[in-house]
Amino acid sequence: MSYVGLYRVGVIVSYRRELRDPEGETIRRDLLQRAGYDRVREVRAGKYLDLLVEAESVEEAVRYVKEMCSKLRIYNPVVHSLEVLALG
Amino acid sequence: MPLAPEEVGEIREILGREPTPEELAMFEAQWSEHCSYKSSRLLLKLLPTGGSRVLVGPGRDAPAVEVFPGIAVVFKIESHNHPSAVDPYNGAATGIGGIVRDILTLGARPIALLDLLYLGEPSDPHASWIARGVVKGISDYGNRIGVPTVAGDTWFDSSFNRQPLVNVACVGLAKVEDLVGEQPRPGDLIVIVGNSTGRDGLLGSSFASKPLGKDVDRDIGAVQVADPLTEKLLIDSLAELVQRRLARYIKDLGGGGLTTAVSEVAAEFNLGAELDLDKLHLRTELTPLEILVSESQERMMVVVEPGKLSEVERVFEKYDLRYSIVGVFTDNGRIVARFRGRVVADVPSKELARPRAIRRASRPPAEALNGLTPALGLPEVSIPDSILKVLSSPNVSSRRWIYEQYDHEVGARTAVKPGYADAAVLKLDAGDRRGIAVKGDANPRYTYLDPFNGAANSVAECFRNLVSVGATPVAIVDELNAGNPEKPEQFWYFEMMLKGLAWMAGELGLPVVGGKVSFYNEDHLGRQVKPTTTIVGVGVVEEVSNVATMDFKVAGSAVVVVGTTFPELGGSEYLHRVHGLEVGEIPRPRPSSELRNSSLVLELVRRGLALAVHDIGLGGLGVALAEMAVLGGVGVEVDLGRVPCRGCLRVDEVVFSETQARYVVEVKAGDVDEVLELAGRMGVEVSVVGRTLSSGVYRLRSGGAVAELPLEVLRSTYLESLESSFR
Amino acid sequence: MVRVAVVKFPGTNCDEDVVRAFRELELDVEAKVVWYKDFRSAKWDAVVIPGGFSYGDWLRAGAIAARTKVLDEVREGVSRGLPVLGICNGFQVLVEAELLPGALLPNESGMFTCRWVRTVVERPRGPWLSLVPDRSRLDMPVAHAEGRYYVDEVTYSEISLKCPHLRYERGWNPNGSTYDIAGVGSENGSVLGLMPHPERAVGVLTPRGFNPGGELILRSIALSLRKGW
Repeated sequence: MSYVGLYRVGVIVSYRRELRDPEGETIRRDLLQRAGYDRVREVRAGKYLDLLVEAESVEEAVRYVKEMCSKLRIYNPVVHSLEVLALG
Repeated sequence: MPLAPEEVGEIREILGREPTPEELAMFEAQWSEHCSYKSSRLLLKLLPTGGSRVLVGPGRDAPAVEVFPGIAVVFKIESHNHPSAVDPYNGAATGIGGIVRDILTLGARPIALLDLLYLGEPSDPHASWIARGVVKGISDYGNRIGVPTVAGDTWFDSSFNRQPLVNVACVGLAKVEDLVGEQPRPGDLIVIVGNSTGRDGLLGSSFASKPLGKDVDRDIGAVQVADPLTEKLLIDSLAELVQRRLARYIKDLGGGGLTTAVSEVAAEFNLGAELDLDKLHLRTELTPLEILVSESQERMMVVVEPGKLSEVERVFEKYDLRYSIVGVFTDNGRIVARFRGRVVADVPSKELARPRAIRRASRPPAEALNGLTPALGLPEVSIPDSILKVLSSPNVSSRRWIYEQYDHEVGARTAVKPGYADAAVLKLDAGDRRGIAVKGDANPRYTYLDPFNGAANSVAECFRNLVSVGATPVAIVDELNAGNPEKPEQFWYFEMMLKGLAWMAGELGLPVVGGKVSFYNEDHLGRQVKPTTTIVGVGVVEEVSNVATMDFKVAGSAVVVVGTTFPELGGSEYLHRVHGLEVGEIPRPRPSSELRNSSLVLELVRRGLALAVHDIGLGGLGVALAEMAVLGGVGVEVDLGRVPCRGCLRVDEVVFSETQARYVVEVKAGDVDEVLELAGRMGVEVSVVGRTLSSGVYRLRSGGAVAELPLEVLRSTYLESLESSFR
Repeated sequence: MVRVAVVKFPGTNCDEDVVRAFRELELDVEAKVVWYKDFRSAKWDAVVIPGGFSYGDWLRAGAIAARTKVLDEVREGVSRGLPVLGICNGFQVLVEAELLPGALLPNESGMFTCRWVRTVVERPRGPWLSLVPDRSRLDMPVAHAEGRYYVDEVTYSEISLKCPHLRYERGWNPNGSTYDIAGVGSENGSVLGLMPHPERAVGVLTPRGFNPGGELILRSIALSLRKGW
């Protein structure tokens, strides 16, 4: 089955807000604050995937990617939050 | 697990009134199975724990054993089964964190880690996801804190598909004079150092004390994110505190958080405590209840005499560690916690720390008969095909894919590295030729079929593995992984494993200086996983350059089998992989043979008569020979007719039987007579069964040829099977 | 007495290993672990930035350490000719601080790898390699997740013509480094960085089939600091 278009979808996997993020904390404390960039109040780090997806529409591409991330445990819903962004 | 109504009643009696919510939470955490051992405490008294080398036995956060005059080894094992089922990466990582901190409490330097993993079938996607996460978690955490993971074991079985067993052990080194453990006194300050406290891990011990829920995603309260950087700073700063004698007593904040740490020390030393919960450094705003029972990781309690406080503070500040002085020990036996000026908890420390032990009902299930039913009438099979099948089993094949993800060399102590021998060997300090050997073992199939003898065999296997490198075994710790203690047919397995372990340890003269119990290892359908006894042992090595590894060294040597073989295919890897069966009488434990045979092997290594040594375990003689040949790159030919075997009627019995107390030793041709003479004097049955070859072939004969395989084929099967089973 | 500082950042974990290696070889060197807050380059005859996970390797290995005042001190020392050795994470720090060329990327396999490798030394020069003959084979273990060395063609041709460097022997490249580069030095060799761990390749720690490749490097600096290079 061939799809109508190609859509870029971004996926961001990071720790849920109520959990600790040692990477983000260390970057903020030991790199940014030490160097004087203390206006940055919070840093959270995550993993970013840039996907090119065949789909009928951008909504469909996003749905497809969300399902994929869930089924394949690309993010672990117990600890991670998932953001799926339509990039165009 | 929420408290049972009788337990709540008991609390009312203890306090003489209704408990506050904070007090209830404290009891729930402390009285959970994970923290209180109420189901196992009575039976644990069966274990032999004493010995001339035992400096600190069960009771502290970790035991200590004197290995050389003035030098102690502090080692412990722990499980993180339930968190690893929910978040394998952080579950395993925080398990490492916890066990390392326990070693720190005695003032020891952690120098080695062992990981003993019981995972599901590699072909099951969920199990595979858990396996990868667990290995990565251990790798990322252990590597960062700079403690090498030098040994371990992995076992793959479908019963662990949803609920893995993740047992981790840590070994530390200390001078005996540096061991921390003065008695805390009234007036001593309670300092909490490390990560700020948050809402994570709330009632995690309670979570570990009940079966896994159906909706795994809602168990998030018990999940904790690992921070190895803070752990490393704790290791470094505590080393400095210990070296400068600034700490009176040290305790880890583990299961039950602040409550458990304070109550256990108070109960032990007949003290009380005054806690000011406002003082604890927090990540977010928390209620006093949350402060009392949060299980945020990488936190420790240091008891400091008031005169030394400012020096202690300076050490923590040097390492950029956050700390807070949350209270003081008193002499009135009560733990009183205040929040914003209000008393939120006032409980007697002894009653809090020690719930009544329960003697659980115990009854063998019908399934237990599997272990008493001999395995008979097996069809004839191709031996060479069977050898490859067993060698490719994920329980047998090389773990290289796993251990290469662990930095096993950090610390510059690992003289015998993973993959070279039956145990790892670590050298002591620079210029010191002495060392210690460490190994961990278990066999879930044995303990499932016959928990008493299975546990006994795990003790023996650990013993043999240490002997194989030339180390004298000195002490062990154990982890008993079992099902639901409230179900008599599951508790029975725990009881029998414990009894088998106690018996064999006693017979071998190995004190069980510490251990842990993990209950409630069942899935959401109430099926228990295979009950498993993990044994981690430590041995003494007098001269690190005189140890034995298992790779055949040279062509033209004699191949010697130490010990008698019996037809014991029951519960064997061969029976499972080739015939698809998990039945039968497992190999009998043989304590007197273990003692005699190990004395011979140790003497051979000491005299330099053993070019290579390998104990015979999973897969029997056939697999042991294959491993030695593959690792050495040297061929071998063995005449099965010369293998001393009482009652063997079939070839597969000689090749694959997993009879205990046996070793394969490579001996220079010219030394054979001395070896035979020594064995004769020591009353050990040995036999020269073959020789190593210059051609790259593995050959078994019995009259005619039974199996002939090119070394290359064995090599690729052995080295690549594990990784390919995960692809 | 010649003094070697072994700098320790939060998360560095091979510092004591380096000190112990000097002791194991009974070299006439006072090697001491120096906490990053206390490091002043003027007090030392040589500096080692050892392996580990400084700042947890967060953001990128060596990235945060490279931006600390310690590296300003190191830079100042280097301008005076101070010998500096970066081992594993130390190499990553030196590269992130631009004291050595190139970059260190995640291993090709995507996984951490710990194993022994064979390396060959080319154009040895400077205090860290003074006892090492050209083209000699030094075996050492690697243990890293971000060890894939990358450098562009132009820079590589300069390196290969002018600078001391180490290459993984053919078939022994554990991480996909371009041009099989395991380590690289400044032109005069005073600054040297390498992914393998010399402190772990000493004496009985060496497995069968490998040579103790770390010994020559440690002996070199001990000799160079006493007799010049």
